[in-house]
Amino acid sequence: MSEQQVSGIQKFMQGRGIRKLRRDRMAVVALWVIGGYLLIALSVAFGILSKEDVFDRVGPDNVVGFWGSQDGERRLDQAQFRIERIERAAKGSNPEAALANFRIGGVSAAPGTPDEVLARVASAWESFDAVAAHEELDDSPAVPPLFSELEQRVDRLFESPTGFEGFIQTMRMSLGTDRQGRSILFRALYSTKVAVQIGMVAALISVLIGTLLGAAAGYFGGWVDHLVVWLYSTFSSIPWIVLLMVLASMFRGGSMDGTLIPVYAAFCMSFWISPCRVVRGEVMKLKELEYVQAASAIGFGRTRILIKHVIPNTAHLMFINFSLLFIGAIKAEVILSFLGLGVKNEPSWGVMINQAKAEVLNGFFWQIGAATAFMVVLVLAFNVLSDALQDAFDPKHV
Amino acid sequence: MSSTAPALLEVQDLVMHFPVRGGVFNRVISRVHALNGVSLSVRKGETLGVVGESGCGKSTLGKCLIRLLSPTSGSIRYGDEELVGLSHGDLMAHRKRMQMIFQDPYSSLNPRMTVREALREVAAFHSVETPNGMGAYIENLISKVGLRPEAADKFPHEFSGGQRQRIGIARALACNPEFIVADEPVSALDVSIQAQVLNLLMDLKDEFGLTLVFVSHDLKVIEHFCDRVLVMYLGSVVEELDCENLHADAQHPYTKALLGANPINDPDDRRPLTVLQGDVPSPFELPTGCAFAGRCPVAEDRCHQDRPRLERKTCGHQVSCWAVD
Repeated sequence: MSEQQVSGIQKFMQGRGIRKLRRDRMAVVALWVIGGYLLIALSVAFGILSKEDVFDRVGPDNVVGFWGSQDGERRLDQAQFRIERIERAAKGSNPEAALANFRIGGVSAAPGTPDEVLARVASAWESFDAVAAHEELDDSPAVPPLFSELEQRVDRLFESPTGFEGFIQTMRMSLGTDRQGRSILFRALYSTKVAVQIGMVAALISVLIGTLLGAAAGYFGGWVDHLVVWLYSTFSSIPWIVLLMVLASMFRGGSMDGTLIPVYAAFCMSFWISPCRVVRGEVMKLKELEYVQAASAIGFGRTRILIKHVIPNTAHLMFINFSLLFIGAIKAEVILSFLGLGVKNEPSWGVMINQAKAEVLNGFFWQIGAATAFMVVLVLAFNVLSDALQDAFDPKHV
Repeated sequence: MSSTAPALLEVQDLVMHFPVRGGVFNRVISRVHALNGVSLSVRKGETLGVVGESGCGKSTLGKCLIRLLSPTSGSIRYGDEELVGLSHGDLMAHRKRMQMIFQDPYSSLNPRMTVREALREVAAFHSVETPNGMGAYIENLISKVGLRPEAADKFPHEFSGGQRQRIGIARALACNPEFIVADEPVSALDVSIQAQVLNLLMDLKDEFGLTLVFVSHDLKVIEHFCDRVLVMYLGSVVEELDCENLHADAQHPYTKALLGANPINDPDDRRPLTVLQGDVPSPFELPTGCAFAGRCPVAEDRCHQDRPRLERKTCGHQVSCWAVD
């Protein structure tokens, strides 16, 4: 039995659909991209990112990421933030322990007694005041040397990690930090897991429900068909965003508030309609085909015919709908989270875009940029893939 | 075949009306009169041809015979049992005895099942063979229909039309039936392939001791293949006759027209070509008189008012026509 199953899988892999898919270069690239995202999502799910990296402050606020240069105001703010942090640790009730345990992100305090540290802090403040005395931070020619002096003194307060830890630290800050000093890159990576999770669950359940209802409606006809058509006509007459909002707010304050279950429920209720419609039409066509009649001439029951002979032949529709709904769910999640009704208690691209609202007005676009870029690449890859799937698996398409 | 053989299948006044629904309340607004009182009998071991134009109800008749459709009224006696009115469960025992070969080899096989899976499904469902003997049984069946044993693990799209039709025949034979309805089994095939498949059917018929109902629109194929033929027009049998002397025996004007429309392989034989005028009447509303009267070259007044009945002329020959004595 298992031997035949293996040969079935091999047959499928060598089949026409897969062959055509592999010949489509764009589709192969898209598959690699999606594979990369899935890998990220899996690693995040298995805890490669620590909780602190995603939820806690890893550095000063609004650090500009990548090639962007900080303006004077922000450099000054960040120097101030760092000096204050060290000063607070050194001046506390138990300065030795506070300095030994000091940590922002991967950065720890430089070694030395509290008195030595305080002396370094004082010299840093001195340099800070020298810079702050200038009115025009960005234009005055006297400022740049003062700034490098200040930043050298501030750097001396800390011990930056080296080697692999150093690489992680560079990555951590590479897309900058948000208003609360959290790593934008790591939050965007974590959001990948949330997006993939929501996309998978919502698309899978929607396709399953839609296929079963659509196939039953198309195959049995009569009152089953009337019921299903009435159901989806009713659901599709409600604008889906309103349905999502109503459902999301219904769960508010309940025991499931804060989990992803309200989001799943909302998505599945509005997303099952499109696979249902398509599968119903396809099944109505398939059931008139002679191999279905042959199956009933053999004496198979209607349910067996439906499951063995009809539904397997709608598999291409299931593939395509899954990949379309996967994107749909990710985009809807972003909208819902942006409105504050979606993901709670963890970052997601929608949550990031929502938080970036205030930052964007100040010209700080790293957060919204990162969330959007991550989403666009994934959605684009999936769009390319679903086109390719359609071409490869539709029996009518040569 | 000897006309003394016992009747395997006896059909009396079979009527099949398809309701047409419409309007807001989905009421029956009209009916398609697909079969209007068809009677026939099939003797054990014979091949009965059914011929007629498209839409005359010959496929519907075939599907009613193996109860793929539930007739509106009438009776189908198979051996000692009445098939009309049996439920799905009660029919199960009969499904094993009667099978169908379908017209379109491209849509009659499930594209996602290999030949082996398709055949095993049938044989296992009807417990024709034990799981241990299944492999040999299937390979035997495949070679019986003239395919190589390697074909077993291929999918339908890997075969040509003729090969697919052979697989369709193998599927019909897989549960070892005694009665088969072949619904235009060769009309979708190339002429060269048609002969192969027909010869195969003939061989298998003898080997398995089958009784066949052969539906076709091609009188030549029927003449070559069948013992008797029913000529159908608009849901009724207009003539039933032996195939041996088809041209000499045919009496109904419609049968003659059908025969006349077939070319003959003789360049010197120049018959006047009679082409039927007009169209088949609507199956939604049957005409009062003879259904063929509107197109009949010998129609009289009576033909438009009274419907003729199928009358026995000689042994094995029945005609329904006022103009034939």
